[in-house]
Amino acid sequence: MHMADALLSPAVGGVMYAASAAAIVYSSVKTKKDEFAEKKLPLMAVTGAFVFAAQMINFTIPGTGSSGHIGGGILLCAMLGAAPALLSMAAVLIIQCLFFADGGLLALGCNIFNIGVIPCLIVYPLIFRPIVRKGINFKRITVAAIISVIIGLQLGSLGVVLETLASGITELPPGTFIALMQPIHLAIGLVEGIVVSAILCFVWKMRPEILESSLSGASIDKAISVKKVVLALAAAAVIVGGALSLLASSNPDGLEWAIEKTAETAELEAMGDVHDSAASVQGSTAFLPDYNFSNADEDSAAGTAVSGIVGGALTFALAGVTGVIISTVKKKKKSAIARADD
Amino acid sequence: MANIRSKTQDIYSLEQLSSKSSRVHALHPMVKLISTLLFVVIIVSFNRYEFVRLIPFVFYPVILMALSETPWSIMLRRAALALPFALLAGISNILFDTDTAFVIGYLPVSFGLVSFISILFRTFLCVAAVLILVAVTPFNQLTNQLRRLHAPDIFVTLFEMIYRYIGVLLDEASAMYTAYILRSTEHKGLQMRHMGSFAGQLLIRSYDRAERVYNAMKCRGYNSLASRSKVIPLTGSDIFYLAAVSLPVILLRVFDINKLFTAVF
Repeated sequence: MHMADALLSPAVGGVMYAASAAAIVYSSVKTKKDEFAEKKLPLMAVTGAFVFAAQMINFTIPGTGSSGHIGGGILLCAMLGAAPALLSMAAVLIIQCLFFADGGLLALGCNIFNIGVIPCLIVYPLIFRPIVRKGINFKRITVAAIISVIIGLQLGSLGVVLETLASGITELPPGTFIALMQPIHLAIGLVEGIVVSAILCFVWKMRPEILESSLSGASIDKAISVKKVVLALAAAAVIVGGALSLLASSNPDGLEWAIEKTAETAELEAMGDVHDSAASVQGSTAFLPDYNFSNADEDSAAGTAVSGIVGGALTFALAGVTGVIISTVKKKKKSAIARADD
Repeated sequence: MANIRSKTQDIYSLEQLSSKSSRVHALHPMVKLISTLLFVVIIVSFNRYEFVRLIPFVFYPVILMALSETPWSIMLRRAALALPFALLAGISNILFDTDTAFVIGYLPVSFGLVSFISILFRTFLCVAAVLILVAVTPFNQLTNQLRRLHAPDIFVTLFEMIYRYIGVLLDEASAMYTAYILRSTEHKGLQMRHMGSFAGQLLIRSYDRAERVYNAMKCRGYNSLASRSKVIPLTGSDIFYLAAVSLPVILLRVFDINKLFTAVF
């Protein structure tokens, strides 16, 4: 359920960035306090790499702009504990974003939140840990893994739905969106839950100390800590969200509004008549006048549309020519240097 | 699964490009990071119907790829991975946003189609910008910039290690898979009931190997703090590059070049 940049507004992206950054800093501090943190690094890295490989098996969910695949958060938590698991998950997501174009750069905050923060800091301490802590055995591991993976994926995909709808770029109605996302992730969750429980049972049989140490590890999961995390996240989200929604709300376009405000409208008005007449020309000829296509004069609208398309094609061609020219010049320079060397 | 080894090479192919030398490669990594972020944020800030205004931004990837000698084949193959998501996401816009935006000849074009094309195009631009950043910036320089931005050290170290251990893990997986296939001649591929123990075994084996790798690194004096490279000074060309990217990008955001042209001509 990696989200792409194309369906996200900067405001939503920014809010989720703040929330995820707060969660990462919190987890880093928690992990550092653990005296065995350094010994754990190879395990954290290898389980991270494992989740990365497992997520390579993915498919697209029609109409939603996000992918369906294994989450891996609960597996990481069971092996590492909540805070180190979040760090591993976040690192995996950043690598996927940078090197594999899986999940956008702006959407990174959303992705870390949906796939990392929700299973690691919410589902694991509230569901997995209480079940398993009563005494580890195969049955408890299986039940806890399946339930928490399913709930984690459901919450995560719900997060995708809410973030995408809040961005307002897709036309998909909320009902249809949820109907597309939730059942698919229920199926994925069931399969992933079974696989995760099989892996955990195997690891527990072979190396019980790994699971035991993650359970008894740093006292991160006390109810108070979780509350603190949630409060910190909420505070960060409200602050950034408030600031950004000021830019985004009730204006056709936040950045333009901000520029107008900072540029002191006086300057713009000073242009007087010239500006007015230019504006009237623009209003009648522009390709997308205020994004509302005027239906007053269809012929002229069609005419400008064609000119827009021709202009666009010309721009593409010009960009292509620029690229070819730079490449040829570079090649010529290189061959000249090579000849000089001979 | 048989081609795991080629997959491993594929994973690190983009990074191999970053060791080339060109003017773009030589720029300060922080400057490249900032300009990429600015580019992506500006692209995303456009309204969903503003396809035409996005077109001039295509100069950014084209010029940078030509300057850095990044092959289009690698870039397009990577970008294609992101395309299905955008494609399927955009389709809902075509289906639900059917009001006619304008008419070309006798052919009505809906708002949905405009936003569909704009989603595809902005996906390409954002993905290309990020891939170019990685193709022209060595991995360790990138992570050093994260440290300079005060990202938690343990997180950055983990980030570096996971990236390296993907190779270790895939290597183990490849060896294990070959062994499994050789011993199970009756079935093709991995059986579902062996999935759990196969994955568990893979995890434990890679863990053991990762620990040996890490201990070997430690014995040779590895220390994440010490591994920081020297601070790279900002040069005139860095500042020129930043200005050369951010000015046009910001101007294109503020002014509608399309409107300006129609107003002038």
